[in-house]
Amino acid sequence: MRISFIVNGKSVELDVSPKKRLLDILHDDLDLISVKEGCGKGECGACAVIFNGERVNSCLIPAFQTDGSEVITLEGLKELPGYAAIERAYVEHGAVQCGFCLSGFVVSTVAFLKEKKSPADEEEIKEKLAGNLCRCTGYTKIIEAVKDLSLQEDLRRQPEAEVSHYVKK
Amino acid sequence: MKANPNDFRVDAVGKLRAETRYIRDEKIPGLWFGAAIRSPLPRARIKSITFDKNFDWNRVTVVTAKEIANNYVAMLENDMPFLAEEIVNYAGEPVVLIAAADKETLREAGEHVKVNYEPLPYVLDMLQSENSDVKIFGERNIFKEIRIEKGNIEQARQNAFAIVELESETGFQEHLYLEPQGVVAIPEEDRVIIKGSMQCPYYIKAALDEMFGGKKHVTVIQAATGGAFGGKEDFPSLLAGHAALLAVKSGHPVAMFFDREEDVRVTTKRHPSYHKDIAYVDKNGRILGLDLTIYLDGGAYCTLSQVVLARSALTATGCYHVPHVRILAKAVATNTVPSGAFRGFGGPQAVFAIEMLIEEIAHRLNLRPDQVRRLNLIKEGQSTATGQILRYSVSAEETFTDVLERSDYVRKYNTYKKGNAPILERLLKGVYPKKNADDMLKGIGLSVSLHGAGFTGTGENRIKGKIRVEINKEGMPVIFSSQTEMGQGEETALKNILAKTLSIDRELILLTEVNTDLVPNSGPTVASRTTMVVGSLLVEAGKEIISRLTKKLNSETGKSFEYRLGYFYDGEQIISFREVAQKYAGLFVEKQYSHPPVIKFDDIRWKGDAYPVFSWAAAVAEVEVDPVTFEISVARYFTTHEIGKAINYDQAIAQIQGGSLQGIGYAIYEKVGLKNGYFDITGFTDYIIPSSADMPEMDVKILENPYPFGPFGAKGLGELPFVGAAPAVISALWMIFNYPFTRLPVMPEDLFSVVRTLKEKGA
Ligand code: FES
Ligand code: FES
Repeated sequence: MRISFIVNGKSVELDVSPKKRLLDILHDDLDLISVKEGCGKGECGACAVIFNGERVNSCLIPAFQTDGSEVITLEGLKELPGYAAIERAYVEHGAVQCGFCLSGFVVSTVAFLKEKKSPADEEEIKEKLAGNLCRCTGYTKIIEAVKDLSLQEDLRRQPEAEVSHYVKK
Repeated sequence: MKANPNDFRVDAVGKLRAETRYIRDEKIPGLWFGAAIRSPLPRARIKSITFDKNFDWNRVTVVTAKEIANNYVAMLENDMPFLAEEIVNYAGEPVVLIAAADKETLREAGEHVKVNYEPLPYVLDMLQSENSDVKIFGERNIFKEIRIEKGNIEQARQNAFAIVELESETGFQEHLYLEPQGVVAIPEEDRVIIKGSMQCPYYIKAALDEMFGGKKHVTVIQAATGGAFGGKEDFPSLLAGHAALLAVKSGHPVAMFFDREEDVRVTTKRHPSYHKDIAYVDKNGRILGLDLTIYLDGGAYCTLSQVVLARSALTATGCYHVPHVRILAKAVATNTVPSGAFRGFGGPQAVFAIEMLIEEIAHRLNLRPDQVRRLNLIKEGQSTATGQILRYSVSAEETFTDVLERSDYVRKYNTYKKGNAPILERLLKGVYPKKNADDMLKGIGLSVSLHGAGFTGTGENRIKGKIRVEINKEGMPVIFSSQTEMGQGEETALKNILAKTLSIDRELILLTEVNTDLVPNSGPTVASRTTMVVGSLLVEAGKEIISRLTKKLNSETGKSFEYRLGYFYDGEQIISFREVAQKYAGLFVEKQYSHPPVIKFDDIRWKGDAYPVFSWAAAVAEVEVDPVTFEISVARYFTTHEIGKAINYDQAIAQIQGGSLQGIGYAIYEKVGLKNGYFDITGFTDYIIPSSADMPEMDVKILENPYPFGPFGAKGLGELPFVGAAPAVISALWMIFNYPFTRLPVMPEDLFSVVRTLKEKGA
């Protein structure tokens, strides 16, 4: 089937098998390798992307649903000016280990921050990131990084917020 | 807390920008996909394999056991075939391999293969295996038996005030690295390249060299690896064999990529264990003797069970000094998926058993669990079960004292007991237990644990790990080693160690790709050995580079330069390391490891220095149990680790946080059962690992107590954080219910039945 959608700000048209999931289209056909398959069943969050403004697990989106959609992956997010701050927080807090879960966490972090009007507390972050599993870090350092980021006003939801500027809702 | 910039990981940015390629991210032209057809039965005779004539078999490549000349995975015992030929020994055992250009064809082809089995009797229970008529390994289904004796156990028995006995058990555990297993084989004229997610490239090379009987040159390259924890230590040798067989026969590169379900169903698990332990104690709770019987379930093939068993036996007396010891340990075969390496490698099972035995001693003598522990902690100058005298870097007491103080253990123990009393009373009376909506049963538990760093016994001297450091044209030192990065921070640690030795910026140091054609065999990335063993080689290499550069410089200039913190200095001139190194590009140093000669072990009689040194930890877990739902959670977790010296403080903390949470999972979340001999799990929905919502508040502290032969005093760390977590959590459950929990994991339904038992007893 033929699909056309917007990926990281660019329009893409593609012939794909209807059996494919958004995960396969992004990873295999478009070489957007940040999108990882940890389970294929919507349980681990490694394949998270921003889909029509929402954080979703791309392994659960069948090809036909992608037509006409707008998708942002880590590759798109990292082009945004606000991304440097996110990267810095993850590096400085030592929140990276094997990295397989990482793009999912970063996508969730962005989705979380854009909803926040005020700095987040730990409990809230833990709840909001519970859809992303990590087997290496024990989460503490990831939570610290996100908490730190939530203190930065320009990353939180405001019309001019850099990170959310792609992310229409 | 933000890390010191020196501790930032060298691999973080590449991963955060999705520039790091894991094996599924590689673009390999003409890649085919492979899969195995597996036995549905735990034991059976293969009567026939038929290929449906209605399918066009020209589209695919098929491999069966008959075609494999050396059909065994070279490991300790060579008992595991790449493909079963006559008998299958576990449900999930591979029987036929197929590869096709696309997954659809692969699936279709699989449906057209029919394997006829004649079911055979099987044994799943490790305690019945030894005397079973089902013969899986040798005459008695025993992969290995170890006996360790110290002193005279009879004497301990005669002098005992009390004899305390306990049986305990631990279950399977799945690694659940986030990246499932994946390997690609690329065939060339007379070479096969293996690339994939792995811990031990040279293990794979050894297995494939043997499989091909030397007829192919085998090159093994590690791709970025998304977690391993031991799960990618032994298993990838089997998987790489499958990929290589299909690739060579088809002439195409072939990928063996597991999806999550296949991964959890057919890959190795942590060895289940059974302990039957007897402690002889005096009236104060001092241990006079321990008589320990250990069983590990090795599954259908030996893999690494013999060495896992050794570590279990050598860790069995825990952090305690015991004058009289008798240990009998057996690793047995059953018709289950072969058990394999998993962080801790037999240690966690052993520490769980001894720590629960200590709980039972406290229970029997009416002492607080910390009192019994403190009384028996091993100290410098005392000896272990093998008679190893601990001469340096011993911190059982220091870590224990520190964690008790920081967690305020004793006060909380008493407060929580008091607070629990009315809730428990209501619960056991069958009255609704909560007076207030937030009434929770609160427990506090503790553990002390240790981990012997490096290979067990004479292992390091046998492996003789080798590294090379070479100065490149830009004057940058390049490290050649076979150590792998799997998330633990190996790349950062090795670069940091050499940078510190040379007193230069870490950015000036390069690491070669892990490729068996390029790097020497510095040994596998296992056993918490990388930092301590390979790190110590890097320190030696760095020192030699300095002395050789100094010599060359002096003989060339006729001056007497000395090396000071990154510069060569002769009173008049000061030249940077890099400038000098660039002049002597090509200079290289090789170093090979052997234990310091003072470390001696007899692995026939099990006497002497089982490990060059131990790392130490103590933990306190605060646990909450909902008295209505019996949901268990860990609210706070304190741990103090002594690892000699933290090479990277921030990432050492990170290891401890991650390992501890994995250990908490082992205690109360992660359960694998067997259904018709098959694991009853399929992925994250029915095998629960802790999420961020389940994590406790973590309070980690690191103590230093340098090991004289480690790099800057460092010992091993990777596995230790896991070891003490489960016993600390379960100790808290003993405290709440005053009931012996002797089985891992403990799930809410187990608490439910414990409460029912307690009710019946009360009634
Ligand atoms: S791969 Fe999509 S949630 Fe795990
Ligand atoms: S860093 Fe390995 S799974 Fe998160």
